Amino acid sequence: MVRVLNGFLAFVVIALSGTTAFAQDRPRVVAVNQALHDFAERLLGDAAEVVFPVPEGVDPSFWRPSIADISMIQSADLILLNGAGFATWIDRVSLPRSRVVNTSAAIEDRFIVTESITHSHGDGGEHSHEGIASYTWLDPMLAIAQAEAIAAAVIVRDLAIEGIVEARLAELRSDLTALDAMAQDALSGMDGVAMIATHPRYQYFARRYSLSIASLEWDAGAMPGEDDLADLERLSTELDAGILIWEAQPPREAIELADALGLKSIVFETWAGQGTPDSLFTAYRQAVSDLADAASQFAD
Amino acid sequence: MIRAIALSSLAIAAPFGAAAHQLVVFASVDCEAVTVEAKFSSGRVTQQGDVRVLDGENNLLTTLQLESDGTALVPLESVDHSGGLLIEVDTGSHDNYWIVTPEDIARNCGS
Repeated sequence: MVRVLNGFLAFVVIALSGTTAFAQDRPRVVAVNQALHDFAERLLGDAAEVVFPVPEGVDPSFWRPSIADISMIQSADLILLNGAGFATWIDRVSLPRSRVVNTSAAIEDRFIVTESITHSHGDGGEHSHEGIASYTWLDPMLAIAQAEAIAAAVIVRDLAIEGIVEARLAELRSDLTALDAMAQDALSGMDGVAMIATHPRYQYFARRYSLSIASLEWDAGAMPGEDDLADLERLSTELDAGILIWEAQPPREAIELADALGLKSIVFETWAGQGTPDSLFTAYRQAVSDLADAASQFAD
Repeated sequence: MIRAIALSSLAIAAPFGAAAHQLVVFASVDCEAVTVEAKFSSGRVTQQGDVRVLDGENNLLTTLQLESDGTALVPLESVDHSGGLLIEVDTGSHDNYWIVTPEDIARNCGS
């Protein structure tokens, strides 16, 4: 019995050390959001360790990394940026230029400019902060372009076998094209339905499917305050909106308050940060389906 | 909380630069010191502000003042930089940071 146990322990030790060595030997790829992480994992399979370093519950757009985080990222073989102003931390550190890839470089002519915030503080007077809508991958066609950029970067750096990466890219492209077709079909004829999002995340999604989505600036998944609700009521009345899109599952009480304003709540996870175990495709299909259902009720 | 209401239908599809009127912080390092530079994204020099230097555990190591040209010098011998340095600049109305890793210091010191 003892001999059997010893043999088993030896096997476990060897297996674990093999796994560790495997993980250490593989190239490391870092992605700045969950969507890019998932695309990279699909393209690379086991050929590389793909890391999304932002902890669960933290908005990756405004994540503040530690020095240790940046040391880890600097040592990566490939660093996948989203571009379009996503992830403010990338402008606050030194990154090895030869290993950094901006996955939206080829689609900059399709960026959406936003002018969203007017405020004042200190002696600077009132001013506005402009920027670029960042959630590019919510348009599946732009997501394809970003996946293609990842595949090209992987191949040129010889991180995986070219033919395998190209086959996986074709499959991913096909899945995203199917997702787009599904959304086109489900959301057609919704251009007259006014919607409100609790956060400005859906600009590319709205443009792709000719939707009218106004945005508030609420905390994802949080209970809105009195001022937030007053803003919502004002905007809802102004637009005659019937649908409220939440970036994350809100408290039940928040949904009831939205209901009272005549707004049907839909949760549409953007797949920027670590969220539910659902894949981007599952979450996207569910949100599109829910939006179409809600719109049909609203139209009735 | 700052609120914004932006209609997606008002969005314009075009390339665009970085957000306006923000504090930009940059730090470069050599074997002697970390040179901190701060300016507003409008190009205006940041003439005053606190420069806080923290270690990898977020312990405050020292606080300096920006010079009138928007720079500050942190001599490496004055701080324990073995775990890297976090440089925070705070003007009172704006703040931002730059992270210097141990690898940044080693690389720029030729080791």
